[in-house]
Amino acid sequence: MLEEIREKLKSQFGLESESYDTNMLLVKCDRNQLRDLMKFLKENGFNYPHTVSVVDYTPKGEGFQANYVLENLNSKKFVMVRVSIPEEDLTVPTVSDIFPPLQPHEREAWEMFGVEFIGNPRLEVMLLPDWAEGWFPLRKSYDFKKHRKPSKEKK
Amino acid sequence: MGNSIATAGYTFVVEESKEISGEDLGLLQEKLLQLNWGVQHPASGPMRLKVWVDGDEVVKVDPDIGYVLRLLEKLVEYRTWINAIVNVERACFIDNFGTMTGYSIAAEKIAGVEVPKKADYVRTILCEGGRIVSHLIGLGSFVGVMGVHTPMQWALIAREKFLDAFEVYSGQRIATASIIPGGVRYEPTGKFIEKMITAVDFLEKEFIPRYGEVFIDNPTLKVRSEGIGVVPKEKAVELGLAGPALRASGIPSDIRKDYPYAAYGELDFKVVTKEEGDCYARYLVIWEELIESAKIIRQAIEGLPEGEWRTKFPIKVPPGEAYVNVEWARGCFGFHLISDGGTGPYRLKMRAPSFANLWAMPEIMKNVKLADVPVIFASLYMCHGDIDR
Repeated sequence: MLEEIREKLKSQFGLESESYDTNMLLVKCDRNQLRDLMKFLKENGFNYPHTVSVVDYTPKGEGFQANYVLENLNSKKFVMVRVSIPEEDLTVPTVSDIFPPLQPHEREAWEMFGVEFIGNPRLEVMLLPDWAEGWFPLRKSYDFKKHRKPSKEKK
Repeated sequence: MGNSIATAGYTFVVEESKEISGEDLGLLQEKLLQLNWGVQHPASGPMRLKVWVDGDEVVKVDPDIGYVLRLLEKLVEYRTWINAIVNVERACFIDNFGTMTGYSIAAEKIAGVEVPKKADYVRTILCEGGRIVSHLIGLGSFVGVMGVHTPMQWALIAREKFLDAFEVYSGQRIATASIIPGGVRYEPTGKFIEKMITAVDFLEKEFIPRYGEVFIDNPTLKVRSEGIGVVPKEKAVELGLAGPALRASGIPSDIRKDYPYAAYGELDFKVVTKEEGDCYARYLVIWEELIESAKIIRQAIEGLPEGEWRTKFPIKVPPGEAYVNVEWARGCFGFHLISDGGTGPYRLKMRAPSFANLWAMPEIMKNVKLADVPVIFASLYMCHGDIDR
């Protein structure tokens, strides 16, 4: 099953893929290709999206990374689609119209990392309080200690 | 007296922008009314649903979450590989074993550590114990939202026996911190096994017959929950439902069966599915899984091998990453764990099943009666700690 997808990806998109786990395929793609690739995967049975996992690699100088995890519920196989996002231009086209369940996941990734998913209808603060919009607390540059509540002064 | 609400001076928010009060309240029937379901509703837990109603019919639902946000994914980055379990288990306190197991398997995959067989079996026993504890509360609260609070008390009595077993094992009843990368933390003593068997005995001989007689196939309960919040098979995938809610729509998705972890590959159990996809089907899935879990515990205790229960886990883990799914009580819990060669995780992303169910809920709640909102909410079987993390 995964071998088939791997060959199709190579012939249709020219993308190399590697096995991530025994049941998971890892595909690295470009931002411009993302939407076409997601549509293709949905047509090929990977119609159950799990999540969007953004990773901050800025301390290593590699920008950000967005990982989309999709499952095929019939053959029980996974595909992980990986997109690199440079630090200067934190934008990715949204896939929330292709996979509606990913809309809140993109929204969470936006409020935690500041990655803008262009076309997502609802990029609003969800988990954080309103006054914390734009803090992006899951970024590596976020200083936990700076925002800690001052402890009560000793008498 | 006239309209008592009007004289009391209440103000209602209509369509968010217009406000109505006083004499205009007569027109209210023709307009949308926004109600707040929660934060202090007995069934809602720490979250708010903004419910727009047209008369008695729900037009739109918008969840307002974040009341129990602890940012566990960030806290984990400040811990060592083993200490991180205290943050991971707090994703939801009710079934903490599932999340700890998932995180530990991910860490072991990156480090290339193989766990002893005994640890796998103890993990299975604990995970199923956690599932039973969670399902008991799920069953109790489902009937609880309809105004009958007896089943919750019965469930808590059965749950107590399992908590006793966890206490004997780890010293703690709820936040046990007992499953670590490299195995399990404590030796499964004879006393623990004995307590676990007592708990399963009580569940199978006392709780299940008694509860099954009264609250399963109960005509009043069926009137309230059958045919409510129906999700057909295709719609369930499209909405991204997870766990018991997905299985109640007829999709046999169970990580324990699909990609066996711990000792599930060697044990015999069946995946519970229902075809109807309504609230009652979701309730029955939880009920039947409870019975299955008790069987799994018995098998795992019988097959418990001899030997070590933990191996050494390195302090520094080589760079790498892993994505691991586990079947947690409330659905498929995903862990995307990344190591950069340090003494702790570089990044952990937790994919929560309740989060997926929550955002599928507004679609399910369209055009239902206001009285069905709590029933659908409870049938989706969500945990607030899990939604907010």
